[in-house]
Amino acid sequence: MTATSSTKESAEELDERLVRRSLVRGAMSRPELGAVVGALAVFVFFSVVADSFLETSSLSTVLYASSTIGIMAVPVALLMIGGEFDLSTGVMVTSSALVSSMFSYQMTANVWVGIGVSLLVTLAIGVFNGVMLSRTKLPSFIITLGTFLMLTGLNLGLTKQISGTVSTKSISDMEGFPAAQKVFASQLTLFDVDFQVTILWWFGLVAVATWVLLRTRAGNWIFAVGGGSDAARAVGVPVARTKIGLYMGVALAAWISGQHLLFNYDVVQSGEGVGNELIYIAAAVIGGCLLTGGYGSAVGAAVGAFIFGMTSKGIVYAQWEPDWFKFFLGAMLLLATLLNAWIRKRAEAS
Amino acid sequence: MSALIELTDVSKQYGHIKALDAVSLEVHPGEITCVLGDNGAGKSTLIKIIAGLHRHDAGSFTVEGEETRLGSPREALDRGIATVYQDLAVVPLMPVWRNFFLGSEPTVGRGPFARLDVAHMRRTTHAALLRMGIDLRDVDQPIGTLSGGERQCVAIARAVHFGAKVLVLDEPTAALGVKQSGVVLKYVANARDQGLGVVLITHNPHHAYLVGDRFVLLKRGAMAGSHARADITLDELTRQMAGGSELDQLSHELGGRAAPGAAAEVSAAAGTGGGADGAGETPAPPEKPAAE
Amino acid sequence: MLSAAVAAAVTAVALAGCSSTGGKRAEEERAADAGGRSAVNTPRWKVAMVTHSGDGDTYWDIVQSGAKQAAVKDNIEFLYAHDEEAGRQAQLVQSMIDKKVDGLIVTLAKPDAMKGVVAKAAKAGIPVITINSGQEKSKEFGALTHIGQDETVAGEAVGTELNEQGRKNALCVLHEQGNVGHEQRCDGVEKTFDGKLKKLYVDGTNMPDVQSSVTAKLQSDEDVDTVVTLGAPFAATAVKAAEEADSDARTVTFDLNAKVVAGLEDGSIGFAVDQQPYLQGYEAVDLMWLHRYNADMLGGGKPVLTGPQILTKKDAPELADYTERGTR
Repeated sequence: MTATSSTKESAEELDERLVRRSLVRGAMSRPELGAVVGALAVFVFFSVVADSFLETSSLSTVLYASSTIGIMAVPVALLMIGGEFDLSTGVMVTSSALVSSMFSYQMTANVWVGIGVSLLVTLAIGVFNGVMLSRTKLPSFIITLGTFLMLTGLNLGLTKQISGTVSTKSISDMEGFPAAQKVFASQLTLFDVDFQVTILWWFGLVAVATWVLLRTRAGNWIFAVGGGSDAARAVGVPVARTKIGLYMGVALAAWISGQHLLFNYDVVQSGEGVGNELIYIAAAVIGGCLLTGGYGSAVGAAVGAFIFGMTSKGIVYAQWEPDWFKFFLGAMLLLATLLNAWIRKRAEAS
Repeated sequence: MSALIELTDVSKQYGHIKALDAVSLEVHPGEITCVLGDNGAGKSTLIKIIAGLHRHDAGSFTVEGEETRLGSPREALDRGIATVYQDLAVVPLMPVWRNFFLGSEPTVGRGPFARLDVAHMRRTTHAALLRMGIDLRDVDQPIGTLSGGERQCVAIARAVHFGAKVLVLDEPTAALGVKQSGVVLKYVANARDQGLGVVLITHNPHHAYLVGDRFVLLKRGAMAGSHARADITLDELTRQMAGGSELDQLSHELGGRAAPGAAAEVSAAAGTGGGADGAGETPAPPEKPAAE
Repeated sequence: MLSAAVAAAVTAVALAGCSSTGGKRAEEERAADAGGRSAVNTPRWKVAMVTHSGDGDTYWDIVQSGAKQAAVKDNIEFLYAHDEEAGRQAQLVQSMIDKKVDGLIVTLAKPDAMKGVVAKAAKAGIPVITINSGQEKSKEFGALTHIGQDETVAGEAVGTELNEQGRKNALCVLHEQGNVGHEQRCDGVEKTFDGKLKKLYVDGTNMPDVQSSVTAKLQSDEDVDTVVTLGAPFAATAVKAAEEADSDARTVTFDLNAKVVAGLEDGSIGFAVDQQPYLQGYEAVDLMWLHRYNADMLGGGKPVLTGPQILTKKDAPELADYTERGTR
């Protein structure tokens, strides 16, 4: 191009500036910072008030509770960064488990076949959400509310129709079950403590989601469609494709969660999962995702899920009066979110 | 020199409404063609045709001498026509370097492992902005923290970097203060000096006259005039733009103040931005942009 | 093209990937459907059941099967509706009255909300039988009789049984906060149980949450030697939680399902207290028929108790088939 020397020069200049840019300010501008501080506060709090909270076996339980939320919260966070909601996530998990279980059972097929069919069906639900959104231009809130209600009905209706009862039949005596259980619902022993395999799935998803978000073109597009979809469209970002992809990501995680549900308990209750979608969204928001899109991180959502796990189990470890359970849960969440918002404001002011 | 793009008697109808009627204009490399008109004059329809968002119904539209009917913004980009819209040029929450490459991100690695070439992206952004005369402290800052003028400039620099031959600017100074407008006009002139053809859409004749080589006036979808710079004075342009006799009438009603007087404020302001001394020459000494 | 290929691949895998164990094929080999035809020639009366069941509740599913079986036998057209919210349940009852049914079977989970509409039914000359919950209000509201289990009595039975087994420290897992019946069960246990009883509230719609909460509780409170779950689906989860927490706590449960029976069989579940939901549905419809046909009333209108029935390992083999087909 023009003058290579000037480019080099400016590159050096830039590097020098990057060093000068204080590390603190760098950390302050991360979306997950508030959640990390909130998580630390919750952790210290329960360490003090609940004596058994700090034991490694307790940590394993807390991590398990966090992972079952976190597996969904991470792709939900990506979707929210992309500027959309999904209210169908809670029941989609149940749908995925039901399809897998009932297909295997009714066809007397190896459970892996059911798992595969379930993957296709669940991804199809994600595609449906995404395509409906981009075709109709209706708010995702409405579209996925529709999907949520339809899936709730389908879960109940089809299960009753096919199984004759409202829960599926046990598939634990079928071929392929032990292997599938290893993959989706086994325990790993590490330093004499049992850890649920879902924790690995969770960490894996966080790693993949973070990489996608920060280091790929798709990640750039996700930020763009959430932060300004008209601008993104104008510069040639495939907005519809990006959003459909995000809904498929959510569906993929719903499939993982669904298989865990199935292989952990052998049978699936068709009415389960309603209400969980709000917990996933809450975890993403605590983790620093903006409700309006364009801002947030996968790590933040994972930390948000961790706060949820710590709070819900910490209350049990602290042996508090159970009548107050929901109140404490709500108060802790509100505090964590406020702290998060406060820190973000401070970070922006500096 | 042959025109980069040339529109001859181009018309566009939305249902019964004639949005554009027999409009002609040409854009040459290293020249700025200004399209002037009030609200509803058909400026945005014209821009949409050039940018590939809409197709024209009648007339001819040639790109580098070749008859064209653009089907999508992507197609327009591929033909070297980059459009910078007034308000949706960038995504405010994203860092400058991510915005700069949005939609055309360079990657290293293959297939599913293709990853952004982040170091290259940061470096190139900084260098490209520097070439436009913007010295940004930190390309990692969200673009929303830049001033309105700087944001426009990033969008212009982006278009230049990605090899645009024609730059279409939709009211780049409309939402800006006086000082910022001057800064943006300076960068527009800078782009022109790099050999681009520029279509500058504006309703401000003073801004247009500072940098323009040709002026096309639109009124209610039709051509109200087309002049080369040599053929017209600022006062005449202002008078035509404001509606000539209509303005005289208005000034009478408002108590007989002279209409062109209103221009004083703007032209004085433009002086701070440089380039006031004529569009054909190099812009005024490169001041440091006001990076507040 | 692509979808056809995918479909073909799926079919191929499905054909190749059959399971030689379990599944539908195994079920068909042991199926025994009751069904049948009407055994009477009375007119085709219309009987409606309106319950406070939530969506997808296993328990109410069994009640319904019982009611349907009796309806087939008694030549009755059986209508069913449910809503967990008391106000909407009352509206459903009202719509059944508007339909001019010949008999109404309702639950009184929240009696005050149902009072007015039950009175309306009586005024319209529709006989009402209450089932499952609301025993103490049934007579007062003008119902013919009540069929069900007294929740407190059922809880007391559990407490007594736990005393006999020498338990000292029990945990009552409530999977629905604010459910009066659940509170009564736990209170009943507390009444007769000589040891200590603690309560744990969990979110019943989220099974992993139930598991991790029970695990957490058992980890923090190592003295617990018994976990009492109030619904069948939660028993197996409690067993899992105890394993995970390395706790010796034994699980006992209210209600039955296939997994509970399997648990009784292999000893992971101590005992189950059943209130025989099938019987509640069946008897309600059958008594309604008897009343219309012959003005009969079992027990002269005194509450008809369907439980508590304590089931242990020795009952398991017999129960397995019935739970599998969804009638126990």
